[in-house]
Amino acid sequence: MLSRVIAVSASGLKSSAPLGAGLVQASRSLHTSSPSLAPVPPLPEAGKVRHGILPEEFFQLLYPKTGATGPYMLGTGLSVYLLSKELYVINHETVAAVTIGAMFIYGVKKFGPGFAASIDKINDEKITWIEEVKDQAIACYADAIEEEKKEQWRVEGRSMLFDAKRNNVAMLLETNYRERLHYVNHEVKRRLDYQLALQNLKVRMEKEHMVNWVEKNVVGSITAQQEKESIAKCISDLNVLAKNVKAKATA
Amino acid sequence: MILGLFDQFFTPYFAGIPLLAIAIIAPWLLFPTPSNRVVNDRSLAAQNSFILNFAKQILLPLNVGAHKWALLLTALMINLITLNLLGLLPYTFTPTTQLPLNMGFAIPLWLATVLIGLRNQPTIALGHLLPEGTPAPLVPVLIIIETISLFVRPFALGVRLTANLAAGHLLIQLLSSATLFLLDQMFPVAILTSLVMALLTILELAVAAIQAYVFVLLLSLYLQENT
Repeated sequence: MLSRVIAVSASGLKSSAPLGAGLVQASRSLHTSSPSLAPVPPLPEAGKVRHGILPEEFFQLLYPKTGATGPYMLGTGLSVYLLSKELYVINHETVAAVTIGAMFIYGVKKFGPGFAASIDKINDEKITWIEEVKDQAIACYADAIEEEKKEQWRVEGRSMLFDAKRNNVAMLLETNYRERLHYVNHEVKRRLDYQLALQNLKVRMEKEHMVNWVEKNVVGSITAQQEKESIAKCISDLNVLAKNVKAKATA
Repeated sequence: MILGLFDQFFTPYFAGIPLLAIAIIAPWLLFPTPSNRVVNDRSLAAQNSFILNFAKQILLPLNVGAHKWALLLTALMINLITLNLLGLLPYTFTPTTQLPLNMGFAIPLWLATVLIGLRNQPTIALGHLLPEGTPAPLVPVLIIIETISLFVRPFALGVRLTANLAAGHLLIQLLSSATLFLLDQMFPVAILTSLVMALLTILELAVAAIQAYVFVLLLSLYLQENT
């Protein structure tokens, strides 16, 4: 994989290619302009490789001319050539190379997926964390919108509130006015009743006084003679009446 | 080409041009530049995660004044571990098998820690020469021993790294020579030696990483003592 990074100086992998790294580092270290705030394009898809290190493009390059087994034949032929001509001499480093190559392949095969999964987990945690912040912000704003709508609805009812308050105040004023009116009424009636009672009293007292005076005079004017005569008349009347009653009773 | 046993320890030359500088700077080529993205590709994310965790780990016991050394220690660790691991590949030159390079790392950094300690807190720095709780008769002897120990530190750092790596490489070479020779002579023994070779390779991978870590860890400990 590392050989591919070094061998393929694709512009899409600028941040990871060694020369690109140097160039990017050089321009960034001078800070000649503020960093661009535009959204970054998504990461390019990792290049396809066959057998871990050979790029797929190489096989596709040779496919039209030499078919599917072309690159393998090339590899075999090349290694046989190097070995047979002793351009590559087998020495102790070869054994060391084989051993470390086997270790490397074993390590990558065994720990590769686990390691990749843990790295992906780190990235996913970062994304989750950021999205959580974003979601919380969105929820916060949605709540704020709801609250604002509620406040607007409350504002609509505010005129009704004012009307009710106005009605209340008018009622209070009316009640107060009527109370005072009633009070005034009551007081005036009280005074008039008093005057009326006073007049009645006066009339009654005059009447009584007159009656008393008349009685007194009449009783004073009755002589003894008149009294005796009237009493004898009364008795004779009573006798007549008694006789009548007795006659009616027996009849 | 017929390789002698010590050819791997010679400085590589190409048409008379020494390639030592390239060999030492080689790790720089293998680490992608950190980008501004939140989500990176796996190699960058792995590198970032490793460097972050390592820096956290190494700076944990250090107090805040010593955190200025974060970049230096992390860079040193990355450099050493990459140099060591790259050296395990065949036909590569490992700069860290050369004593001058390792002494070049060890002596200035160790000296820096000592001078920082003597400048900022001389009493405490000198106090380290006598461990707590020593009985009175042992005090003079112990101070001399501790001073010698102090001055041996850079040599220990450098030589530890050199010896481990050089010995490992040499063993790999010897065992692979033996395996190659025995392939003709006694094939079953060659199998045995290749098994031992496999185990040794695992050991060497571990040693490469561990020695780099130990180097940086000891430096951070010396720094912790002196800040």
